[in-house]
Parts: sequence; structure tokens; C-alpha cells
Amino acid sequence: MTDLFSQFAVLGSSLSLLFAVFLLWRRSVGAYVTAFAWQSAVLAAVTAMVAHFGRDPQLYAVAAVFYLLKGVAVPALLRNMDRRFGPVREGEPYVNAAASVLVAGILVLVAHAVMRPIVAVSDLPTRAALPLAMGLVFVSLFVIVSRKKAVTQIIGFLMLENGITLLAVLGAYGVPLIVELGVFLDALMGFLVMQVFVYHIHETFESIDVDELSGLKH
Amino acid sequence: MILAILLGAPLTAMLLALVLPARAGGRAAAASAVVSIAAAVALWTSVSRGEVAAVGGVLRADALSTLLVLCIAVVAGLAAWVGPGLWGREDLQDSQIRRYVVFSNLFTFTMLGAVTVNNVGLMWVAIEATTIASAMLIPLRVSKPSVEASWKYILIGSVGIALAFVGTVLAYVDFAHHAGAREAALTWTVLLAAAPSLHPEVMRLAFVFLLVGYGTKAGLAPMHTWLPDAHAEAPAPLSAMMSGVLLAVALYAVMRWKAVVDLALPTPFTDELLVALGLLSLAIAGFSLVAQRNYKRMLAYSSIEHTGLTCLGLALGPLGAFAALLHLVNHSLVKSVMFLLSGRMYRRYRTTDLAGVTGLLRTMPVTGALFTAGMLAVVGLPPFGLFLSELALVRAGFARGRYGLMLVVLALLALAFISLVVHLNRMLHGPARAAVDRGEDDRLALVPLVVCLALVVVLGVVVPSPLARLLVMSAEILSR
Repeated sequence: MTDLFSQFAVLGSSLSLLFAVFLLWRRSVGAYVTAFAWQSAVLAAVTAMVAHFGRDPQLYAVAAVFYLLKGVAVPALLRNMDRRFGPVREGEPYVNAAASVLVAGILVLVAHAVMRPIVAVSDLPTRAALPLAMGLVFVSLFVIVSRKKAVTQIIGFLMLENGITLLAVLGAYGVPLIVELGVFLDALMGFLVMQVFVYHIHETFESIDVDELSGLKH
Repeated sequence: MILAILLGAPLTAMLLALVLPARAGGRAAAASAVVSIAAAVALWTSVSRGEVAAVGGVLRADALSTLLVLCIAVVAGLAAWVGPGLWGREDLQDSQIRRYVVFSNLFTFTMLGAVTVNNVGLMWVAIEATTIASAMLIPLRVSKPSVEASWKYILIGSVGIALAFVGTVLAYVDFAHHAGAREAALTWTVLLAAAPSLHPEVMRLAFVFLLVGYGTKAGLAPMHTWLPDAHAEAPAPLSAMMSGVLLAVALYAVMRWKAVVDLALPTPFTDELLVALGLLSLAIAGFSLVAQRNYKRMLAYSSIEHTGLTCLGLALGPLGAFAALLHLVNHSLVKSVMFLLSGRMYRRYRTTDLAGVTGLLRTMPVTGALFTAGMLAVVGLPPFGLFLSELALVRAGFARGRYGLMLVVLALLALAFISLVVHLNRMLHGPARAAVDRGEDDRLALVPLVVCLALVVVLGVVVPSPLARLLVMSAEILSR
């Protein structure tokens, strides 16, 4: 049983990591949104699984809210944005696809090295998946710094948040509920404000390419 | 009770601003700011008696919280009294004034919340919320630079703060492993009690994430890149609040975690990291000041310099912590006055270029004189408070035997001193552009600024004993 739990945890984390790496070789923002929605669904499933095996009914509620927020509402808003600007495509990124995937591989290795003390300390059956969660955090960071469209950066940020949620769920079966609620609220508000700013960028620069945002120096 | 009033005041002002006409909302906000300051002073007297104010298990204010609460209440009050909504002369529309009053009060509320919650997870939530509230105000006037600055701010700020949450989660994972997952597990007091049994390797990793995360928000180099843009493009009263207290609130989060991590680690690991980032901030700010062409960016880089200095102080033991906290208070007062004055200058000169502002003493005699006094305070000359706190900081460094470090710090401070004084000199004298009017308007708005500068002079002569007591108590919390 613990074996099954541990294998599911690794499977779920690997899938969510794959959805992040997917961003590195595709160019269409529509596909990014789909990847993000799937990643959120997988994460909700992992959370529900931890609720089942860890016997923590509270986590079922967290999984449900998470799915509604990150798996349904946010992707719908993102698609709406994508439609409004016409289908957005990433131009030539700062780092090309092949090199990006290579970097992602290295980042996952780094995550394994960084997480060694935690994995050594933990005795939860989910511990083997912890480095993958940290890998997701690192790869999302890389997406944010290496891609040029504001919408892609938002999706990178949302995936970063997903990575942290995964880390908390796998590492400690979720943070205390009151904190979880605050985090949900912040995530939603933060996303809405970012969305407002993308519209601002679109209106003032007539593009959502952050390359255009280079007026402020020194 | 005091805490409820303290947090309720900005929240009430925000709700009133939503329903009242814009200018009435501004007056309500100014009134609520006075209530906040009164509540902060009441908190100060009760905490000085050795009490710890608490509401349930959620809110808790000890000496360190109170110190920050005082700074936030005073600076927010200053911004409310000098900022949009009270005076007739702004070129803002009513809808912009309303937006400003609503979000600036939300901003104040989130900052006060961040320093009074006992749960470090909720502290993170509140600090993340400060980013959201303040980012909404940067493009108060939508323009290319303000949109660019606000995007940079919210993206870098949110990513940074997300990394701080990674650190929080890592610490929680370790805690939950030792003590079992509990609702109270992320409470600072519980965490502190459990700290000696936490795993050093894990806490070290967690602290790196926490320092990078909150350090981004505090404007520590090399994560400072959003700061000059955001401070330069934000409306002046918001710049005053961001520079005066937001950076301090982010440092406060670092301090709380440092207290926990120090107990878990056998080596002064946190001190070394703080010294490294503090020194780098001082160096980058110092060299950026030399070639500065924009006076608001100049003030922003000077804030990076002072944050770096505070950071260094925190790494220098109890004496250093005392000096750092005193420096934090001084910087809050001076820098918010400076940004508010820069707003007056901008309204007259219509430019943020250093080269565009000349003959300041002749065009705006009072503003010019106050700006001069403030700048001399910022560079650390007596009789201003920053002189005393920098002196105390350097003495703390020498007392710890860090001679080399302190010599480098002094050299960097001298570099900042020279560049700031040279820039100031160019602004004060010379002929003003013909199109610029002479004389001051809204003289009454200068009164709170004069009061604040007078306080800094008082702090430069002697640290009054109630404040000294609060500082000592706070320093004790940080270094046990």
C-alpha cells in the first residue's frame, strides 16, 4: 500500500514536471494554457490521493478548491486573454528549444542535489517525489526568465505556484488550512492584477512582448 | 483591542473611500491615519511595560512588531496628509484619487497585518498582498514607463515572494516531521520553541530561499532590479511608503526567520549571508548613485544602500541589531519625507531628470531647504539621526573585530556621500528654467514634513529613553 502511494506520488510529480517542460518546446500560448490546466488537474489528483492515503479529509476540500481555481477558472481566464489578443505565439525565445530542454534537465538534477537533506530527513512515503516538485519550481523559474510574452510569464508563475503546492502536499501533507486559504486568496488576486497589467501593456505598447519593456535603465 | 483598532482604521478608511466621494474619502483616510498613529503609540506604551499584545492565536505584537507598527503608522499618516485627496492642487481626476485612497489604505492594512500576525505563513500571505495592493497604484497615470515599472515590480516581486514561500514550506516540512502536522505549526512562537531540534541542513536550505525571497522584496542586491523603476514611476506618496516602510517590512520577515534559524544552526551561517548581500547592495547602490540622472531613482538607490546597511547591522550581534533597528527607524522617517518632497518638485518642474531641476532654492525656497536638510541626513551627517545609527553600526562592527568589512563599508558610504552631495549641489543652484513658477503652494502640507525632519534631528542628538527601551527589547528578540 505504501509502495503504491509512493509510486503514485512519483508518477503525479513526473507528469506535472513534464507539463512544465512542455512549455519549453511549444510556441503557442493556447497549448501552454492546456498544459497548465492539465498540470493543475494532475496536482489536484495528487492532493486527493494524499488525502486518501494520509487519511486527512481536509485535503479533499483543498484538492477540490485547487481544481476549481487552477484547473478551471484560471485557464478559462487565460484562454479569454489569448482570444482577445488573437492567438499569441512565442517568437524566438532568449534560449532556443533544444538548449532549453537541456537546461531543464540540468535544473532537475540540481533540484535533486538541493533536496538531498530534506529527503534524508523525511520519512513520508512521498519523499521520493520531493526533488521532482523542486524541479518543477526551478523549471518554472526558467520559463519566466527565458520567454518573452507577458502571458507566458504569467503561466510560468502559475506553474511555480503549482510547484510550491506540490512541495507542501508531498512534504508535509499540506500547510495548515488557514495559511492554505490565504495562499488561495493571494493567488487569485495576484493573477487578476497581473491580467489587468497585461491589458495595460497591450494598450500602451500595442504588443505583449516584454522585449518592448526596455525603456527604464539605470 | 489596540490591535483591532490599529488594523481596523485603514480597513475602515478603505471601505469609506469606496462609498464616499473621492475627496471626502481622502479626508476620511487622513483622519483614520491619526487613529492608527494613536493606536500605535498606545501599543508602544503597553509593550514597553513588558506586555505582549495578542488577539487569539492569530495576532501578536511584541517589541519588534511594535517598532515596525510605529514606522508604518507614521509614514502612512504622512503620506495620507501630504498625498492626493486632501489638497486642491493635484492634477488627478476623482476616479484616480479614489483608486489611490482605496489601494493605499489596503497597502497600509497589509503591511500592518504582516508585522502583527503570529503565523509566519500568514505573514507571507500579507507580504504577498502588499505587492498586489501597491502594484495597482504604480500605473495611477498609465504611461509606457509606469506600465513597464509595474509589470517588472509585480513579476519580480511575486516570483521573489514565491521563493520565500518555498523556504517557509521547507521549514514546515522539517517541523512537521519532528512535531507532527498541527494547525499551530507555522506560528512563530511555536517555531521558535522548536527551533533547537530542527534539522540544521534543512533550515540552512530554507533560509537561503527565505532570504532570497524576502530580500527581493526588501530591495537587496542582486534582486533589487525592480526597485528603482517602481520607486521612480510610482506616485510620490506611494514611493514614500514603499521606500520608508515596505522594505523594512520585508526585512522584518527576514529578522523573524533569522531568529528561528539561528537557534537551529551551530554556525553563524545567516550572518554571513546577510553580510554578503548587504555589502553587495551597498556596493551596487554606491556605484549606481555616481552616474544617476533621475532624482527619484537617486533616492531609490539610496534606499537600497540603507537597506544593505541595515542588513549588515543585523549580522553584527546584539549591538549591531540595535544599530540596525535604529537605522531602520531613521531611514523610514527621512526617506518618506524625501520622496514626498520629490513629489512637490515634480509637480513644479514636470520632470524627474536631475538636469531639469536647477535653482531649487530660488524656485521653491522651503521645499529646497527641506530637501537639502533631508539629503544631508540621508548621507549621514550630524546632527541627523542617521549619523548616530551609522556610527553605532560601525562601532558594533569594530567591536566584533570585523575591521576589514567596516573599512569597506565606510569607503562605500563615502562614495555615496560624494555622489549625493554633488547631485544635490547641482539641483540647488543655477538658473531655473524660465517656464518654472517661483514660490510655494500648499504651505500647510509642509508642516508634517517639517515635524518628521525635526524628529530625525532629535534622534540625532539623543535616542529618547522610551524608544531606546523598545529598541533594546527588539534587539533582544533578535539575538538570544
